[in-house]
Amino acid sequence: MGVPAFFRWLSRKYPSIVVHCVEEKGRECNGVRVPVDTTKPNPNEVEFDNLYLDMNGIIHPCTHPEDKPAPKNEDEMMVAIFEYIDRLFTIVRPRRVLYMAIDGVAPRAKMNQQRSRRFRASKEGVELTDEKNRIREEIIQRGGYLPPEEIKERFDSNCITPGTEFMDNLAQCLRYYVTDRLSNDPGWKNVVVFLSDASVPGEGEHKIMDFIRRQRAQPNHDPNTHHCLCGADADLIMLGLATHEPNFTIIREEFKPNKPRPCALCGQMGHELKECQGVAREKKGQHDEFADTIPTAEQEFIFIRLSVLREYLSRELTMASLPFPFDFERSVDDWVFMCFFVGNDFLPHLPSLEIREGAIDRLVGIYKDVVHKTGGYLTQNGFVNLERVELIMQAVGVAEDNIFKKRKEDDENFKRRNKEKRKRMKAEQRGPAFLTTGQFAPQALGRRDRPDPVQNARQQAYNMRMHSNMDAAQSLKAMMKNGGNSSAGCSDGRGQKRKTEDSDSEPEPEDNVRLWEEGWKQRYYKTKFDVDATDDGFRKKVVQSYVEGLCWVLRYYYQGCASWKWYFPFHYAPFASDFRDIKEMFSEFEKDTKPFKPLEQLMGVFPAASGNFLPTTWRNLMVSPDSSIIDFYPDDFAIDLNGKKYAWQGVALLPFVDERRLRAALTDVYPDLTPDEVRRNSLGSDVLFLGKFHPLFDFIHELYRSETPEVSVIPAELCHGLQGILNLAEDPVLPDKPLRSPIPTLRDISHSTAINVKFKDPHFSAEFVFKAVLLPGAKIPNKVLKPEDWERRNREPWRPQLGFNPNRQQAHLDQSAFRALSHSVNRNQHGGQYSNIPPPSSYHQGIYRPQSSSHQQFQHSRQNSIMGAPPSFSHQSLFPRPQQPLRGGVQGWDRAMQGQQAAYLQNQSRGGAGPGAYQQQQQRYDQRRNEWPDRRGQHDQAFRSNRTYPPPPPTQRYHWK
Amino acid sequence: MAATDVEDFIQQNRALAKQVETFRGYWESEKHWNARREFLLRNISDFKLEQLDQLLSLSMVWANNVFMGCRYSSELLEKVKEMAEGIEVEDAPVFKTRDEIMKSQQGR
Repeated sequence: MGVPAFFRWLSRKYPSIVVHCVEEKGRECNGVRVPVDTTKPNPNEVEFDNLYLDMNGIIHPCTHPEDKPAPKNEDEMMVAIFEYIDRLFTIVRPRRVLYMAIDGVAPRAKMNQQRSRRFRASKEGVELTDEKNRIREEIIQRGGYLPPEEIKERFDSNCITPGTEFMDNLAQCLRYYVTDRLSNDPGWKNVVVFLSDASVPGEGEHKIMDFIRRQRAQPNHDPNTHHCLCGADADLIMLGLATHEPNFTIIREEFKPNKPRPCALCGQMGHELKECQGVAREKKGQHDEFADTIPTAEQEFIFIRLSVLREYLSRELTMASLPFPFDFERSVDDWVFMCFFVGNDFLPHLPSLEIREGAIDRLVGIYKDVVHKTGGYLTQNGFVNLERVELIMQAVGVAEDNIFKKRKEDDENFKRRNKEKRKRMKAEQRGPAFLTTGQFAPQALGRRDRPDPVQNARQQAYNMRMHSNMDAAQSLKAMMKNGGNSSAGCSDGRGQKRKTEDSDSEPEPEDNVRLWEEGWKQRYYKTKFDVDATDDGFRKKVVQSYVEGLCWVLRYYYQGCASWKWYFPFHYAPFASDFRDIKEMFSEFEKDTKPFKPLEQLMGVFPAASGNFLPTTWRNLMVSPDSSIIDFYPDDFAIDLNGKKYAWQGVALLPFVDERRLRAALTDVYPDLTPDEVRRNSLGSDVLFLGKFHPLFDFIHELYRSETPEVSVIPAELCHGLQGILNLAEDPVLPDKPLRSPIPTLRDISHSTAINVKFKDPHFSAEFVFKAVLLPGAKIPNKVLKPEDWERRNREPWRPQLGFNPNRQQAHLDQSAFRALSHSVNRNQHGGQYSNIPPPSSYHQGIYRPQSSSHQQFQHSRQNSIMGAPPSFSHQSLFPRPQQPLRGGVQGWDRAMQGQQAAYLQNQSRGGAGPGAYQQQQQRYDQRRNEWPDRRGQHDQAFRSNRTYPPPPPTQRYHWK
Repeated sequence: MAATDVEDFIQQNRALAKQVETFRGYWESEKHWNARREFLLRNISDFKLEQLDQLLSLSMVWANNVFMGCRYSSELLEKVKEMAEGIEVEDAPVFKTRDEIMKSQQGR
């Protein structure tokens, strides 16, 4: 969902859900790559059955990466995608199913967002090219050096939309990739691979959900399947919870802030496009052997354990003394539902609910209050009880006024603090106006070389005086000289016009709504919708659409797409307090709606500038003034910053697409499609692949031999209870049939041992309701969190579980190792009041040094501080450390810093080396100190005893079961 | 044509008015619709039945420009402004387009 802050919030509130991945890397030996043997047990000490890939999360970073040079051509992109999938496969090592889902045509509800993204992306692309050209010009004029301009065209990321040639090629390439791996990689031997390409309608993650939902609903499903879903979208967490499968894990790239990016112009690291100087490339390594390596570490992966999130949620949501029996599964569904209020891809979020302002906590609080009155849960199996939702909304509505006022207050405070900070920084940079020099120069106390006794003090003082006099005289002369030259004459006499205090702060975007002032509601409706506050009818319309939207979204998550046609036809949400009498506002969605065809949807989401992906006559409809749909394609559009600062954060005011008019216009140009375009425009099917050692292989092979057109029951014992409808493919991959490589650099497959067949999820009637419950026979995984009454019942300190395995082998160090460790780590441990302070939190501002030198820096600054705060120290002392945030850390930036620090430190610790582990413990200790200040001593002890805590040695990895 | 004139016209051409009413977008407020309806009624006689979608499109171009801040090619904008001559829109909202925002942010 379009809420980047959501995951950050979640992982900070529920830190134990995150587990770092252990990744085995392939080795290179004499120029030959030795792949990882994925038939071995998973080094993460857990076995996954099914791996699902939300492919768009892979395609985007592989085709236009942010942290490394872009691939030169499409072939390189494909290879990058293959390598990425290989990496994921090596980490997760699925034993039963690999499901790859590429976004197909999305429901209409998503179209507004897709349009807005693509219209923006197109403009951003043009701007970047212009900027590059401008700076290139400048640099070359200054005689700088730049690598010759590559001929390659700018990669328009808009082509990652179903129906384009690119997506078609991708599907071909993936088909080749799967066949190759099934034929050659022993780790894939027993895996069934599903490929759902862009020709199958539905968003990738929702196609995956449909698959899981439908498998769960049929009797042969194994209720203890361990699912692993790959993707970075926060809504995957919601979707995972919505399945009610007890073993569900999400894998995603770890977010690391401020990763260095190569300059878009010269490809070197260390500066941005704007600062490019056009300096010749430095030699990397002695013989330039590292020329193509990237100095940054490869992106690492993390697991998000939904079973742990469920543990957390059960603590938070469990309510005693309810008028009805408490059902945790139902309360999870309600929690998921409430998260939609805060943001999702299909509806704008309510103005009063900002995730950074703790909106979800507020909602949960309200929920627990109100649930006594409502007499039941808000949702069931994805259907909303509007009467009860209204009570929640009204409770939010009551607080709305205060939320807006508080937001303004916080905002002002934040700005004030920032301003003060800047002022301080400036003052420090200037330094004192006069500084004694020579023998009188200030000396730091406690340094080894003590200042010598002063000699010839009188002479020295005289020199200093004369020196400063001379300086003054010189500057006076210079001033007079300048004054004489300048025609304005008196400008110097009056002195420089002082810049206004705020000169370095950016101008505020104007905000006409002023939500914090009386009359906000009227102003909001007037500014955002251009209607008067008295227009109750209109407001009701907005609320009704929003209510429909909430129902649609929840249904989408729990039952699948209820209507391909429905969408929210406004750019803004109503207020929570406007949700009155909503019970009657929604009954049912239109039945039997059909998704757009791929090319139709392209017409719906592309700006005219991306028209090159469409046939000529179709493209014409986007540019010709006589086109009957020309209004869908403005050249430029308004952006409402909506209280935000940057254009990309604002709301793009794009017109909505009139489906009837679009279809009518297209009927005229449909005959112009080439056979290939007709094929690309048709709806495709999921495809199942498997290798010849799979038990199901003979069954499918027999279908081809006997030319059986359709089979709806797969023998359950052959494929772990998987069910579906099989159809013979038109151009199947068959064993011993050669497969040409679509990529010139990769070899053809002469002897494929794989087979593929069309696959359809098990069919259920339209009225069927998928139950959002735990299945009978499902075993809840062991608890991971520290029991709340641990202190009361146990003496020994709690030992947190770091990975999947509760009985992870602990590594032990002998005495000499301890000595080595304490030599390098603990040197400053007993040095006084600063010894317990973790390394500077602000590593991302460039202050961070490796462990040992950071301690030196501390010492150093301590000494200097007495003489008056040189910059490095003042940074430490004047700005609150993240551990002691101002006002309880209400500010987003503050939290972000903490989150980043935590991520960074944990990342450090993964190396398993002493210093890293130490840092992690140190930090955990610090967190605890905040929670239980009076237990400090005890935890200090715990911290010491836990200090050496590296990951298990690789040889131990068979012992966890 | 003032508001009363529009009313008169609608009274006299019930069938046409009824047809035009079906073109209202769900998101259109009274104010926006009244203006666009006038645009349609003024120009509908110049368009043949099969060209109706084109008129609708032009009316949207005009409305999107006035009420949503969208920019189209100058040729197109001039055309719709001509067609809309005489329609009074009271206190039309003011917008900043994306290009304008980017320009002002670059100037810093």
